[in-house]
Amino acid sequence: MDTVVVALLNGVIYGLLLFMISSGLTLIFGMMGILNFAHASFYMLGAYLAFTAVTIFGFWGGILVGTLGVALIGFVCERYLLRHVRSFGHVQELLLTFGLFFAFEELVKLFYGPYAVAYSVPESLRFAAFTIGDASYPFFRVLIGATAIVMFAAIFCLLRFTRIGLVVRAAVLNPDMVRALGYNVSAIFSAMFAVGAGLAGLAGAMGGAYYTTSPNMATELGVIVFVVVVVGGLGSVGGALIASLLIGILVNAVVYLDVTFGQILATIGLVSQKTASDLLAVPLSSTAGVLPFLLMLLVLMFRPQGIAGDDRA
Amino acid sequence: MKSISYILMAAVAALLIVLPYVGDLASQNLAIKVMIAAIFALGFNLLWGQAGLPSFGHAAYYGIGTFATIYAMEAIDKGGFLPTPLLPLVGAAAGFVFGLIAGWFATIRTGVYFAMITVALAELVSAIAVKWEGVFGGESGLRSIRSDWGPFAFQTTTSVYYLTLVWAVLVMLFLYWLQGSPFGLIVRGIRERELRVKFLGYDARKVKTLVFALSAAVSGLAGGLLAISDESANMVLFQGAGSAFVVLNTVIGGANVFFGPVIGAALTTCFGYFGANLSHFWMFYLGVAFVATVLFAPEGIGGAIVERARQVRAGERALLNLSDIANLSALIVAIVGLIILVEVTGTICSESYRAAVASGQGVWPAVKLMGLSFNPLSPLTWIAGIGGLLLGTWVLLKQGLAKWPSFLRRTELAQPVGTGEAK
Repeated sequence: MDTVVVALLNGVIYGLLLFMISSGLTLIFGMMGILNFAHASFYMLGAYLAFTAVTIFGFWGGILVGTLGVALIGFVCERYLLRHVRSFGHVQELLLTFGLFFAFEELVKLFYGPYAVAYSVPESLRFAAFTIGDASYPFFRVLIGATAIVMFAAIFCLLRFTRIGLVVRAAVLNPDMVRALGYNVSAIFSAMFAVGAGLAGLAGAMGGAYYTTSPNMATELGVIVFVVVVVGGLGSVGGALIASLLIGILVNAVVYLDVTFGQILATIGLVSQKTASDLLAVPLSSTAGVLPFLLMLLVLMFRPQGIAGDDRA
Repeated sequence: MKSISYILMAAVAALLIVLPYVGDLASQNLAIKVMIAAIFALGFNLLWGQAGLPSFGHAAYYGIGTFATIYAMEAIDKGGFLPTPLLPLVGAAAGFVFGLIAGWFATIRTGVYFAMITVALAELVSAIAVKWEGVFGGESGLRSIRSDWGPFAFQTTTSVYYLTLVWAVLVMLFLYWLQGSPFGLIVRGIRERELRVKFLGYDARKVKTLVFALSAAVSGLAGGLLAISDESANMVLFQGAGSAFVVLNTVIGGANVFFGPVIGAALTTCFGYFGANLSHFWMFYLGVAFVATVLFAPEGIGGAIVERARQVRAGERALLNLSDIANLSALIVAIVGLIILVEVTGTICSESYRAAVASGQGVWPAVKLMGLSFNPLSPLTWIAGIGGLLLGTWVLLKQGLAKWPSFLRRTELAQPVGTGEAK
């Protein structure tokens, strides 16, 4: 029972980390129609910037530098690169962010080498938050989750209750009209892009310390983030939250199932015991990496616009 | 002008035919790799350039073609009846079937959603391949051997070279024919305006699924040729790098020109072949080249060639004039500057260099590059790098070879911003 609770908790925390990254992606898409391939790179850059800054400014300073630095990088990418190709259409933007994704990964390898770096949670933060049965639960995980929740609340309040939020939401729906009313829509978009990138940077600075910080962390997470966004519905922050939690819990819970596919199929009588133990000796727990994609295919079949998406495409 | 392109094509064809007699084994291997990459890129471009559907997960169909062909080779070795030269068709069939399924899913949505679904499908296949050792052979992969067929022996590299060449020509003829066929016209119609094609009574979804499957089939065929040439298949094929490279090849070469992907594939494959020995950072240069292409020359190299040919024919420009030479030298200066910056930075950041500094009591050894030594502590090194890069880029922009980025243009027109429409 205790392991189940721990697994569920791990799933929720992982889901919240996913949400920190995917919320920025989904916001940027909703506003500008840009699918930012480089978004997971911002996550990676956040971790590496924080790792570099930790030695100078301490752990919290590192997190701050990671967040703000990546926000600045995001701003530069939008203002000086993406805006330049916007007149060529969305596919060209897609290509540019794809190229940036590629270039960022190689850039990180240039400075830090192809292997993981030793970025970890400082000693002072390594204590148990609480214990479940015999297992103690690390405080830093709880902190990651709490950060994500605070962030969600902040985004929600900003968009829902402030004047800035009103203009931003209007700019999403009808940018030309908002521009005609005298707002600088381009500046709003640049700012939103920077905020989205900064959120991913924050996630990287915190997640990189707990998980591993390596050049392929962007690739590993980037695809899952895409799945989250498709499942949740592009442009919907709430959908992203639901999808993140769903995928986080699914992936973490399935690891605790101790059967193989062969055993299941043999029990139903579809295959013989021999095939079950040779060809199909794939433990169910190893589907953890596959599950998000299956979930996505199911969602696509039965609800193509995603959990909370609208019918724009 | 037309005769020039015919002469050029004849020259390339002649070179390809006599290559085994004039080149060594390494050049044949390289040519095989180029041709496989070219077929893969052409297959990808059927979807990308013709149908306008951005797929970022084509490695899946390539890899599936490779694995299917390895299994077929194993079957032939055990006494199957399939002729070895037709093996790539097995890869194509596997790619086609899988492409039908994947295409059906991917075409549920359009635009960027489509792109994301292709990425996720490729990752799904990759994740399965990693876990399912019974079928995909795990880390070590699968091996098989080429069997001879009738009078044809397939044990030498030269025989594989000619087999690949024949298939490359067949694929090009097929794709060229497809491009001009009524089906090709409908496909391009969907790229331009899907709604109109629907009004004309065509089922756009069916056409898109079919073109997806055809594209996957050509990719699978390329994978099959890889299986024949390498006699092995590994799950690494499914990883993102394969999908990324085919996009790079196509965009750098130019997606709107039939031979664009071939040009791109030849350039990047040769660059990878030689560059990987020269520098650890060749992938970074490739990424920079890709971003620069997207920013400054969206039509790619093939597009630039076609445009120049058009201008020459119309009498607007000479085939080669003084400003081209200036541009070319500026490009070289910029590239040299970039290389100095990247190599010196990369070297002094590497662990072996840090160890050398530590053992030399804080003395920073010089970085050897292109036969010269660069002192990383001297400002001259950095001035040369940054200066070369900036100067070269400035001349290029000034000459108008590349378009000025909008933030540097004098009159900045506000571009219409996306309305969140995924199209």
